[in-house]
Amino acid sequence: MHVRFFALLILGSSTLLATAQDGMQMDHSQHMNMEMGDSLVWRMPPMDMSMPMLPDLMDDVPIVGPMLPGFGMDLSMFAEARPSEIIDMADGDTLHMDASLVRRTIAGQEYVMMAYGGMYPGPLIRADRDAKVIVVFTNNIEMPTTVHWHGLRLDNAFDGVPGVTQDPVLTGESFTYELKFPDTGMYWYHPHMREDVQQDLGLYGNMLVDPLEDGFYSPANREVPLVLDDILIDANGLVPFGDSATTHALMGRFGNVMMLNGVTDYNLDVEKGEVVRFYLTNVANTRTFNLVFGGAKIKILAGDVSKYEREQFVESVVVAPAERYIVDVYFEESGTYEITNSIQAINHFRGIFVPETHNLGTVTVSENSIESSLTDAFLNARENQDIQQELDAYRQYFDKAPDHTLRLSVRVNNLPLSIMRMMEIDTLYVPPMEWNDAMPMMNWLSSGEQVSWLLVEDETGREGMDIDWQWKVGDVVKIRIFNDPKSFHPMNHPFHIHGQRYLVTHMDGVPNPNMAWKDTAIVPVGSTMDILVDVSNPGVWMAHCHIAEHLHAGMMLSFTVTE
Amino acid sequence: MSRFILPVAVLILISSAGWTTDHSPDSGSDPVCEVIPIGPDYYQIDLVTTRKVSGARLAKGFGDVTYAHSPFGVAISPTGTYVYDISVQMSNVTLAEGKSLAAWVTTPQLDSIKSLGRLDEDMRVRGQTDWNKFLLVITLEPDSGPLPETWSGPIVSRGMSRSGLMHTMAGHGPFETEPCAVFGY
Repeated sequence: MHVRFFALLILGSSTLLATAQDGMQMDHSQHMNMEMGDSLVWRMPPMDMSMPMLPDLMDDVPIVGPMLPGFGMDLSMFAEARPSEIIDMADGDTLHMDASLVRRTIAGQEYVMMAYGGMYPGPLIRADRDAKVIVVFTNNIEMPTTVHWHGLRLDNAFDGVPGVTQDPVLTGESFTYELKFPDTGMYWYHPHMREDVQQDLGLYGNMLVDPLEDGFYSPANREVPLVLDDILIDANGLVPFGDSATTHALMGRFGNVMMLNGVTDYNLDVEKGEVVRFYLTNVANTRTFNLVFGGAKIKILAGDVSKYEREQFVESVVVAPAERYIVDVYFEESGTYEITNSIQAINHFRGIFVPETHNLGTVTVSENSIESSLTDAFLNARENQDIQQELDAYRQYFDKAPDHTLRLSVRVNNLPLSIMRMMEIDTLYVPPMEWNDAMPMMNWLSSGEQVSWLLVEDETGREGMDIDWQWKVGDVVKIRIFNDPKSFHPMNHPFHIHGQRYLVTHMDGVPNPNMAWKDTAIVPVGSTMDILVDVSNPGVWMAHCHIAEHLHAGMMLSFTVTE
Repeated sequence: MSRFILPVAVLILISSAGWTTDHSPDSGSDPVCEVIPIGPDYYQIDLVTTRKVSGARLAKGFGDVTYAHSPFGVAISPTGTYVYDISVQMSNVTLAEGKSLAAWVTTPQLDSIKSLGRLDEDMRVRGQTDWNKFLLVITLEPDSGPLPETWSGPIVSRGMSRSGLMHTMAGHGPFETEPCAVFGY
């Protein structure tokens, strides 16, 4: 099924001269062959940047072969995926769920994609805190896979890491996961094998863990899960992935089509004055979103694994890959509120920041006012004394010396010479965050075979999986993470730790005045982030960057927790 | 075209002045973690004296850039710009009676100016900006009364945000044949 055909189409130099269109836009579509018979070949990814290409790169394709699950197969063979459903699960319940190829329609075009339980996103598993449930998972995609239950402090054997906690689940095989939910909040599940492909094609779903206490959160009129994603599509369909390794290893695979809950035309109808609780999850491979709700007031309640010490009003919500946030949004007036991703992209060629606004969806507010107004409760930013008291036990450690340090860096080899030179020229300024694919051709050409993303422990000289941290349950471990701005290609990294929870105590030496327990947090370029890990869960666990392509380019380590 | 000459000139001046970026993160060997709110070295703004002001011809200074508090770690405005706290520290300055230093931020085009406030007795002041590219300017001002909307005194020192080093590639390097005018330069 996976046709792995690698073709180079060398165009004559006469076609290589880029020509300006409308003064700014460059059309590169003539540079690559689109298809070669029934074989899958590389074609250049869509570029919407107003920059010319490096002449040396115009003929280049990634050194890995192209791969696209379901390529060439009849779409009608596949069941049409359906929108996500909520699966309420009581303690002891069992869910049978598979991963399979499905037919998806995105912006009116049909594609072969993947789905858990035939749904996009996958089924939303809803359970009470402290419940334990069983998921019998069957792999019906034609790639080995596993399921990682992101953010859960569950038993190590069910963490879903191939080669560490389990063997890969091969096609047609099953694996039984036992989940437990010790922490209230929103979590998610996704593959931990080639997630650059499988997650990007739709393998993701949420787990919503309800509190046992009344009034755990401030009141809201309704609850809405919102899954943020993007996908890379051109006129010929999905842009192929790398077969033996990822493409886009430098910056990760940014999509050019944005989706909320798997659709491009998301709409929510609410009544005037409603307070809507959004459970946000970013499942994109690499894109960090800056979410704005059309000027509606936003109050943040909770991060990945807990509430914040105090509720806080914000004007936008910054969500890095794998992060979750729970926010209340107050729709005070009737009308239309656009949900947007509002960023300042960078145009390296022109040397400028470029405001970009991606419309993700719409909230339509009717003229009818909500019967049970929660305005007063919304406008009151609550102190969460329960979490404050819980954190009191950890405050003595906030200023302790780091137990470990990590430096985030990158090593490259065998990249095209012009990319190497261009990166040197372009590194006079590196932004703290990459909000867009500012160098789409160079990024696409960089594969996981040429790029090694590094977690470096300078004290020992160890890197990545050679790092060997040994902790005991009950330890409170401080890690200082420094994102080296002088590496070959610095980039922000969402740092994820499996099976434990942590606090971000300092950013660049500045104490964090309002904490929540996290499992993933952004380390911007140049910054030093101090985290305090509550070591509570025995086993062999992973920590890694949650940009899918960086993970597969080696940006990971494992640590052992003993009883 | 001419409106770009000034910022480019300032950029070149600052580039030639160099940047102090060679600090490394704490090693972790200290028994107690030092909690000093200093921004990433990489984005620190070196302030370069104009040598025009008596008592400040040998002035030194820098602006530390950290993120304003945000529950997301990185502080971002609704339009996507970074929201920075800027901590200014000056030294080697002897002020005449009735004079003070004030800090300002301005866009590279100098078309918008905001005050960060007067420096205190320790030659420090802290303010905030949500501009992605900006100049940090220290001026000599009267030591009393409200600060005007823009500076009135001479410039003592100035520096540019690290992002100021990012400039067009049109007409340069591998794109030297690209016509600058097509890209607005």
